[in-house]
Amino acid sequence: MTTVADLLKRPDVKETVLKTVQLDGQVVLKIMQHCDGAQPSIVTGQLLGLDVGQTMEVTDCFPFPSPEDDGDSSTNYQLDMMRCLREVNVDNNTVGWYQSSVLGQYQTQEMIETFISYHDSIKKCVCIVYDPQRQQRGQLGLRAIRLKDSFIELFKEQKLTGKDLREAGVGWRDVFVEVPIKIHNSSLAQALIADLNPAPGATAGDLERLSLANAGYLSKTMANLIECMDDMLAEQGKVSMYHRNVARQQQQMAAWLQKRNQENIARRAAGEEPLPEEDPVLFKPIPEPSALDQYLVTSQIAGYCDMLGAAAEKGMAKMYLVQAAQKAAQH
Amino acid sequence: MVASLLLPLTGANITVKVHPVVLLQICDAYIRRNDKQDRVIGTLLGTATEGVVTVSRCYVVPHTESADQVAVDIVHHKTMHELHQRVAPSQIIVGWFSTTGGGLNSSDALIQEHYSKEVTASYGPVHLRLDTSLQQDKLPCSTFVSRGLALGDKPLGMEFVEVPCDVAYGDVERVGVSLLVSGDPEKGKPTAEQETLATSITRLTALLGKAQAYVEDVVAGRREGDASVGRYLADTLAVVPHLEPAAFERMFNEGVQDDLLLSYFAHLVRSQVSLAERLGTAALPLI
Repeated sequence: MTTVADLLKRPDVKETVLKTVQLDGQVVLKIMQHCDGAQPSIVTGQLLGLDVGQTMEVTDCFPFPSPEDDGDSSTNYQLDMMRCLREVNVDNNTVGWYQSSVLGQYQTQEMIETFISYHDSIKKCVCIVYDPQRQQRGQLGLRAIRLKDSFIELFKEQKLTGKDLREAGVGWRDVFVEVPIKIHNSSLAQALIADLNPAPGATAGDLERLSLANAGYLSKTMANLIECMDDMLAEQGKVSMYHRNVARQQQQMAAWLQKRNQENIARRAAGEEPLPEEDPVLFKPIPEPSALDQYLVTSQIAGYCDMLGAAAEKGMAKMYLVQAAQKAAQH
Repeated sequence: MVASLLLPLTGANITVKVHPVVLLQICDAYIRRNDKQDRVIGTLLGTATEGVVTVSRCYVVPHTESADQVAVDIVHHKTMHELHQRVAPSQIIVGWFSTTGGGLNSSDALIQEHYSKEVTASYGPVHLRLDTSLQQDKLPCSTFVSRGLALGDKPLGMEFVEVPCDVAYGDVERVGVSLLVSGDPEKGKPTAEQETLATSITRLTALLGKAQAYVEDVVAGRREGDASVGRYLADTLAVVPHLEPAAFERMFNEGVQDDLLLSYFAHLVRSQVSLAERLGTAALPLI
């Protein structure tokens, strides 16, 4: 049985593995401006840039208009925008897309499908997920996600049953891969940023970071986690149903076979042709449910657990700091 | 008869707020300009309320310039404007930018006139200049509005009047820009979570130190005290809750217990999920 390690060690003759995603400063700010302005709805946009060896350089981006009924106008929008940007010498290659998410909830079937549709034209497309709530809590809310190659192959062949995935050694951890982000600026932009250094007063980011009140965030994450558990149970239910159906079908087949045998004995006794013992039309094989949803739910649960654990631990650290400050004040 | 020189006094009391993303975009556009061009021009989009013009987006418009005339690609400008309208319908054209330093010349006046046809505000389009020539040690950004000069009835020309310009930070952008500043130019990695908590605390202690030094100076008579500042400091300190040690202990214990519970629960679910994966129970039916 091939393991994931074997698949990764396979030498890539033409393609190199993507190690980092390099974002331009203006891309970061543009994504933040677009996603924050559109809260709480989810918005998307296109990323433009260059694929340089092990780094994906994203140099520009533009937002998509909100989804309209007319699919043609959105492709027109894209074409017009790319044409205009080409006239001003912006890198014209699409390297992926960005989207905003709510509390880290992005692992859906649609995302996989978008990846696959991009994958046909761009081998190493990347998706930047921006979480405005995380940014508000004073941390970087940007993550770069891509699908693992082994998973892409399996998805294209539609071999997503439990057995196939086990054989290929693809676990739920191997669906999405997070790529580290690096922020890069041209020298001119760096000079500008050095000029722009915001005043050293306390910012709202500081207020959020130092605040002890993370109950709202924690309870929302817990609620999402519980929803995911319900989804997980539903998936398990589907698997149980499948097994029950298969068992019932086997029973039916056995009963039918027995009846056939008895008929054949009777026929042979009467000297007629025995009927065939197999009847494929009556018993169609039941398709096994796809394990993809299960994988997605499991991976989402893992994501929530990580977020919850990190937030709880930070909360504890802050409580201990407050206790130390209180003790110092009392002396 | 001496004709009077008319210098209108209108339109000079507005301020302009620029978002940092606009300035970064202008820098990027300047770097990508064609070889033959000295400067880049483009359109500014934003909102205008009374007295304050906020510039939040921009896009570059290709143009060609020679000694006596200037040609701007209007089609490009209109197309980009429509595309931007589809994404952000509330943003209107508020002016234009260019990346020259130094003085203004006649082509600027022509472009200004062209844009004044598109801008409906009473003070006309705002002109933003970002000096990228790097002759001084900084990148000064200045904004102007124009007004016509007339001698009696004959129009003489256009005068550009500087108006105050401010870089506006939304709070999220503040996190973004401080991220860009703190990013190491070589490594460029965003700072880790522990570091940002520590920087917040250092900033807080620095602020407290400044306030304390100020109060001590005023008490010792070294400085003039401002009554409003004193009242503000007193009000702020009064907001800090004074807890009895017992009450604080209880609050502390409850908080820590809650956090521990959540942390334990999160770890439990995580290990359950990993275990299920190893045992392959996800594919087995529930009994």
